[in-house]
Amino acid sequence: MALESQRIKLGNGIYLNLIKTDKFKSNLLSYYFIRPLEREEVTKNALLPLVLRRGTKNLPTSLQLEKKMEELYGSNLSVAINKRGEKQVIRFTMEWANGDYLGDKGYDYKVIDILREIVFSPTLEKGVFNSKYVSQEKEILKRRIESKINDKRSYAINRCIEEMCKNERYSLYQLGYVEDLEKIDESNLYRHYSKVLETSPIEIFYVGNYDENLVKYLEDSNKMDRKEIIEILEEDNIKSPMTKSIVKEELDVNQGKLVLGYRTGINYKDKLYNASVVASDILGGGPNSKLFRHVREEESLAYYITSSTYKYKCILLIDAGINFDDFDKAVDIIRKQVEDLKNGIFTQEDIDISIKSLQSSTEAIRDSIFLISEFFFSKVLSQDNRSLEEILKGFQEVTKDEIIKVANKIEIDTIYFMKNKVK
Amino acid sequence: MDIKEFNNHQIKEKILFSKTKNGLNIYFMPKKGYTKKYAIFSTNYGSIDNKFIPIGEKDILKVPEGIAHFLEHKLFEEPKVNIFDKFSKMGADVNAFTNFTQTSYLFTSTDYFYENLELLVNFVQNPYLTDENVEKEKGIIAQEIKMYEDSPGWRVYFNLLEAMYVDHPVKIDIAGTVESINTINKELLYKSYNTFYNPSNMVLFIVGDLSFDRIMEVINKAEKEYGNLNKSIERIFDIEPNGINKKIIEERMFTASPIFHIGFKDTDLGYNGEKKVKKDIVTNIILDILIGASSSFYNELYDEGLIDTSFGGYYTGKKLYGHSIIGGQSNNPEEVYERLMELISKPVNEILKEKDFNRIKSKDLGSFLLGLNSIEFIANNFTDLYFDDFLIIDYLDLLSKVQYEDIVNRFNEHFTQENVALSIIRPLEV
Repeated sequence: MALESQRIKLGNGIYLNLIKTDKFKSNLLSYYFIRPLEREEVTKNALLPLVLRRGTKNLPTSLQLEKKMEELYGSNLSVAINKRGEKQVIRFTMEWANGDYLGDKGYDYKVIDILREIVFSPTLEKGVFNSKYVSQEKEILKRRIESKINDKRSYAINRCIEEMCKNERYSLYQLGYVEDLEKIDESNLYRHYSKVLETSPIEIFYVGNYDENLVKYLEDSNKMDRKEIIEILEEDNIKSPMTKSIVKEELDVNQGKLVLGYRTGINYKDKLYNASVVASDILGGGPNSKLFRHVREEESLAYYITSSTYKYKCILLIDAGINFDDFDKAVDIIRKQVEDLKNGIFTQEDIDISIKSLQSSTEAIRDSIFLISEFFFSKVLSQDNRSLEEILKGFQEVTKDEIIKVANKIEIDTIYFMKNKVK
Repeated sequence: MDIKEFNNHQIKEKILFSKTKNGLNIYFMPKKGYTKKYAIFSTNYGSIDNKFIPIGEKDILKVPEGIAHFLEHKLFEEPKVNIFDKFSKMGADVNAFTNFTQTSYLFTSTDYFYENLELLVNFVQNPYLTDENVEKEKGIIAQEIKMYEDSPGWRVYFNLLEAMYVDHPVKIDIAGTVESINTINKELLYKSYNTFYNPSNMVLFIVGDLSFDRIMEVINKAEKEYGNLNKSIERIFDIEPNGINKKIIEERMFTASPIFHIGFKDTDLGYNGEKKVKKDIVTNIILDILIGASSSFYNELYDEGLIDTSFGGYYTGKKLYGHSIIGGQSNNPEEVYERLMELISKPVNEILKEKDFNRIKSKDLGSFLLGLNSIEFIANNFTDLYFDDFLIIDYLDLLSKVQYEDIVNRFNEHFTQENVALSIIRPLEV
């Protein structure tokens, strides 16, 4: 069964995307707002969904909102703030059980209305956001930003990106900055919110079973008449290393976290893009990869070691958890494996395994209502018109020569190492 | 071949069951239209099974902490070939996990499902351990242990278990310690394997768009010949006293703000089947009413800045242990604890209202339906419930049957001041 979406323009910069399927026991509705990733607004964008989910005009407290969603069979609201290249994406999603299985058909409209209210009709106080909600959510966000050190692995990855891309917008942390929070209040945040509504490209997704009436309802209730929509620029992609540095950070930890940041110079529009994804997978995609075999299975240096490419940002990161003393040894082995890739020391079988694995995970998108909407959204974001089938075929066509070509473009930029404090 | 069919018309799902010639139970849930297929092969053997009489022996053996998990790593070892490569070549993603009571080996694939299934049965049923490959694994597992040592969420959880339990091995870290795994050897691993990895102690569950006949054919062919292994397994558990071990455990580590876990130790134990699963459901409904996002308690504490969205609670347990855990981040964990004690000392009709009960029940019905979209959810919950002697297909009916009276009785018995312990992780002093 081919996955297809119907895309309807509802106004300047706002689209409704419909994906019809009766495979799931639920329906899903998402709103995506696309913003440029900039220091000036990154913190405000991160705060916005937290404040909006506190209450709407008709359900002004979290308590009322929460109770209402529970009554509607645990309709599940999720909000997220994500960095996609040098874009920041604010997402609001509701997923709810299909009434057919509950003997309660047609409550879909109620859930749709609630999500719309959360996004477009917040509870207000003197024409701006509720001041108590804003100050509470500022505190919550502050704690969340500070807690990024709790997950040492993702902290290390973020630190490597921060160092490596320090002169690029991509180094910005998607949840923003504590010092910028201080300047935010209910009025300037509300002004920013109005700007987001008026100027952002908006993508709406509905995945599930629906009829014409529901489509008409979604169209009518989401029509907007807007003037200036901001243009979201493509990221500046630096092709070669900028910093060439080794950053060691001493923290109170038991395990060393090693991250090697490379530049690939290949973005998602490049014809070598598929080859770069395959190359990264051969290097450190799964348990059959070069790094897993040499660093973990042969040398017992690590429990996890992986390599990943960043779709929107021409970089490749390798990360592993190792003993503090094994830094030199691990870096040597990793560099040797990258060298081997450059010199074509890998087999057709390695390529086939990676292609198969990438195809399987791409195909699995069909089994998740959420991944289906994310898939179509990412196609919009990257202006990629290929169908899922074409994407699968694209992997198939990757050749050994292309992988070697890609590997020879990979250049080390920054090495980050989290080590223990010497007491 | 006998095939038994379990149907649930409301959710439009069914489960098929059959047994292999060696007595291995096979369950299958068809999922038409799904791309992914999932198989999970599990043994009822986890970190708590650290004292037992090895099969064919008479004396009790106490094994080092972390051995079930160690064995899980080692089963991937094959003479000459690499098992990961074999799966990878057929596009399968293979993995395994060990928890307190079970060890599971699983894969997902879109193609070559039956070939991968054969591989799964083969590698789990044919251990290949050498002194050398056992030694080699120690470095890898040591890194896994160190990774967990740096996770405040993991530390706060295991400190809580240590606070709640006096003797029960649920308090032991699943992966063991760097010291304990160093005492593990080939002989101990084989003894554990031979005792717990026999077909009568295992189950294989499959979900996806597949043919059950073909599944049974593949497994019957791949299965190893077993002798008479249907003997029951002698596991030894020390009697866990009622009451808790320590009221509070505090630790400092590299973290941003304090995090805490409050635990209520279960004393109403010993059940399996519907009675046990109903207890799980009932206790989780109570927790949702008391402290969930739609409770006054949650909203008041949130308003006062005492908790954030990380705050929540759940009940989990097996036949011989169980606990409710309430936790999150807070700058003042003691205050949250005090307020919770205040809450549970109020009259039950004030804090557990029937209309809240009905609402949470609706929510749980919907959430379970959402879960059925995911083959991973189905497979993992199937296995967990199966070892409780309950079939996932009956879950929604059981949930519908839960009455308001059930929650009142359970509350009075479980949420008491005698059963409660507190674990706190604080940031390092600067």
